[in-house]
Amino acid sequence: MNVLETLITEFARLPGVGRKTAQRLVYHLLQQPRERMETLAAAIAGVAERVHPCAECGQPTEDAVCDICRDPRRDAGLVCVVEEPSAVAVVERSGAFRGRYVVLGGRLSPLDGIGPDALRIDLLGRRLAGGDVREVILATNSSLEGEATATYLQQVLAGHPGVRVSRLARGLPVGGELEYVDGVTLTHALTAREELR
Amino acid sequence: MRAIDLVIRSFRNLADATLDLPESGVALVGPNGHGKTNLLEALAYPVLFRSVRGSADREVGRFGGPGFHVAVRYAAGSTVAATYFAAERRKRITLDGEEQATVSAAIGRWLAVGFFPTDLALVQGGAAERRRWLDRMLSLADRTYLDALLRYRGALAQRNAALRAADLAAADAFNPALARAGSTLASRRRDWVASAIQLWQAELAGLGELAAVTLRYKGDDALIDADAWDERLRASHQRDLARGQTHVGPHRDDLVLSLSGHTLRHYGSTGQQRSAAVALRLLELETLATARGVRPALLVDDVFAELDHDRQRRLATRLVSRPGQRIVTAPRGEDIPRELDLPRWQVQDGMIRHVLSEAA
Repeated sequence: MNVLETLITEFARLPGVGRKTAQRLVYHLLQQPRERMETLAAAIAGVAERVHPCAECGQPTEDAVCDICRDPRRDAGLVCVVEEPSAVAVVERSGAFRGRYVVLGGRLSPLDGIGPDALRIDLLGRRLAGGDVREVILATNSSLEGEATATYLQQVLAGHPGVRVSRLARGLPVGGELEYVDGVTLTHALTAREELR
Repeated sequence: MRAIDLVIRSFRNLADATLDLPESGVALVGPNGHGKTNLLEALAYPVLFRSVRGSADREVGRFGGPGFHVAVRYAAGSTVAATYFAAERRKRITLDGEEQATVSAAIGRWLAVGFFPTDLALVQGGAAERRRWLDRMLSLADRTYLDALLRYRGALAQRNAALRAADLAAADAFNPALARAGSTLASRRRDWVASAIQLWQAELAGLGELAAVTLRYKGDDALIDADAWDERLRASHQRDLARGQTHVGPHRDDLVLSLSGHTLRHYGSTGQQRSAAVALRLLELETLATARGVRPALLVDDVFAELDHDRQRRLATRLVSRPGQRIVTAPRGEDIPRELDLPRWQVQDGMIRHVLSEAA
């Protein structure tokens, strides 16, 4: 395979990018000045070289420990468990969480050969061993595999009776209309309804 | 519900065509192996977006071709279409021209019930045949069932993969999902059987079977309750681990058909078995009509030749007694009972011609 083909194939491996889009991206790059391509190549090489998982939470960082884990203002008693680093960014954007994270690096999917050992559950164990943790929020996705991961972690956490375990609530989207909500979501919303008086 | 027109491209041996289908239906006549069943298969494809014969998509396209395309317009402005791209092994499904992200979003918009000679396997075959039939029908009748079925299959596949990897803790992590979806399947199937027994008996009586027939759902009653699953699954741990598969759940149940206290599968005559299979299809038709509030179209593939004269006449009468479009096939015109008075089309070498008006 020539270099052009190699690059197209590599782009096409990215999530959400098909072969056609990959071709368009590569032909677009070819029309750019040479420095643009070199900057991109250097950025990719730099990330490959310098970025690694944070020793405490597992999210990508250039340092040994990431900014969030080093921040003394964050509540060490609250731990939010997510599947991927992208979820950290989403929770951070909400500004509603001031605790720390554990990024599992995936979700339980035996069909894809991903068992508990492939996830960074050890990081959660280490946080719990510290003794400061009051609550663990399981914020894995509400997909089949995300739910199973949460169920599995519940079993792991059964060995820590002093720690509160919670799951993100599922229900109506803010600003959403009732008639467009699917049955499963509505069932959850009804089960987890809030008392007003 | 009726097909107004059907577009076929590169489908099996059929010549590319756009066919306007008469409102009452049509009788397709022609030698075996020339494409009559393929045409019914094309009409049935956009119901569940898979071959009713159980063929893989790559086998449905014309041999050595780029894939296939089939579209059915079933009401003014309502068209379901499927295009299969063989090179990419990709299927594109559209509703009124708009691409659908999932197959399940488009399932059952267009409804047709098929009567095929291979239906005999519903009675003669193993439990898997009847489960597949139940799942197909109830998925089309009820959206909740389809959603539960997809979740159940996903959870079961994951759980079994974990069992094969000898990881019991990971396997059990899928138990809650399995229990939620599985209890829905078990209870809906039972409810349906309870509501369908009388109608099945009436259909069989109408086909001339006088012996007492019954329909019974065979499975663990307790599994209707999602809370009962955990105990059952844990009790099955050793067996599950040893075999690398889950032994608890509706994927192991059966629909038992019996006649005078004996299973039709083992003790019925071939004639009785054929009648029972036809009656199951008539039951499917009524179930869908009631659940969906529309009459599905009927696709009847050369089933008359398999029945004796009396059963032929009776089946024809029962088909005619229900309103709706009927697409019927037979090798020769005289194989179609006189009760089914339909325009005739000739199918030869994959080509479809409107002819034989003299026989009508």
